[in-house]
Amino acid sequence: MPRIYFKTADQYVEFAEGDEVNVLRVAIREDVDVPWRCASGNCGTDRLMVEEGAENLDPPRRRERARLGELVDEGYRLACQTYTRGDVTFSWNPDQVGLDDEPGDGDGAGSRTGWAGTG
Amino acid sequence: MYTVAGAGDSDLSPAPFNRNNSYNGNNADREHNLKRQEQSMAELMSSSEFRVAMEDAFSGTMAKDASFSRAWAAGKLHKQHFVHWATNHYHYIGPFGDYLGLMYANTPDHARDAKDFLLQNMYEEELSDDRHTDLLIRFAEACGGTREHVQDRNNAMPFAKGMQGWMYYVSGRENFVVSSAALIVGLESQVPSIYRAQYPTLINKYRFSEWEAEFFDLHITSDEIHGERGYQIVLKYADTPELQQRCLHFVREAADMRFAYTKALYQTYVEPDLGPWVEEDEREPALVG
Ligand code: FES
Repeated sequence: MPRIYFKTADQYVEFAEGDEVNVLRVAIREDVDVPWRCASGNCGTDRLMVEEGAENLDPPRRRERARLGELVDEGYRLACQTYTRGDVTFSWNPDQVGLDDEPGDGDGAGSRTGWAGTG
Repeated sequence: MYTVAGAGDSDLSPAPFNRNNSYNGNNADREHNLKRQEQSMAELMSSSEFRVAMEDAFSGTMAKDASFSRAWAAGKLHKQHFVHWATNHYHYIGPFGDYLGLMYANTPDHARDAKDFLLQNMYEEELSDDRHTDLLIRFAEACGGTREHVQDRNNAMPFAKGMQGWMYYVSGRENFVVSSAALIVGLESQVPSIYRAQYPTLINKYRFSEWEAEFFDLHITSDEIHGERGYQIVLKYADTPELQQRCLHFVREAADMRFAYTKALYQTYVEPDLGPWVEEDEREPALVG
């Protein structure tokens, strides 16, 4: 069975062969602590770094591209907008907030990726 | 097989439609008997049993399998059919904020997570970005319709008005757990399965832009999450056998309502142009060849 590895939470979730599943829905259903807020591609709170398995994901559509901008090219996806049909590994910053809510004052916590000191 | 109805629901009848878009009275009789048997045996189900029962309750009558949805996904519809769809859909889901508001008022303070979910759902429908009904009208306009036509109640089928009335009834009169089961699990959670089949056709065959078809893109994903949260709320707060049974009944009824409404769209607007709906693999070779 294909599986999603939520690396930051160290949790695996398996799903049926042939299914395409929404990543945030799976996380909510299985109590994986992925940060999220709007579920509509607006806030960017649920941006995840795709560490492996990008080829198994649906390509990003308009809302996701508009919200993430250049972060798409850096390997980020929005959990609420992303479907997978195969193995994939995600990581994220547990403390990240929405893309418009970050202070962006250079203290690290305000980086657009959400990773302190890496943005 | 499915489980329906709680105590005092003897007037509630089971689904009259099967997934082939046809009426099936014999099945209805049989299922009515099953309902009575199961009603007397009802016990509190575990979370996982109850979830499976809810999924089973609508799996046979999902709107994605109704003739209008099938014809849409197969690329058979014309743009004027989409205008009719958008017009009726506007009168069905246009007051969604109202429905949620009624449910909010019926939800007790101790179920704070449920209240917050309803409030957030309302906010997203109306204010967080483009108003969802405006996205629907944007699509209708891309198909040659007008805002005035879509918003004119006289242009909606009686089925759409019936759907709206049913939504007002359930949201206003039923326990918040039951209305969550009906509107969120029974209706909203079906949306991704419908639009995921229709959206690629809109983009690839009809050549709508992503902007014109944004209504569908938005709901494919947001209703995944709303549906999942709906499940969680129903699983948490349906804490008696009677509530669980009533939730199952209304999940089933919601699916039947949406199926019948979607089928009526085909009969009213498409059948006069294209004839009765026949699946590709059921057509005579001469017709499909
Ligand atoms: S939760 Fe807001 S963009 Fe996904």
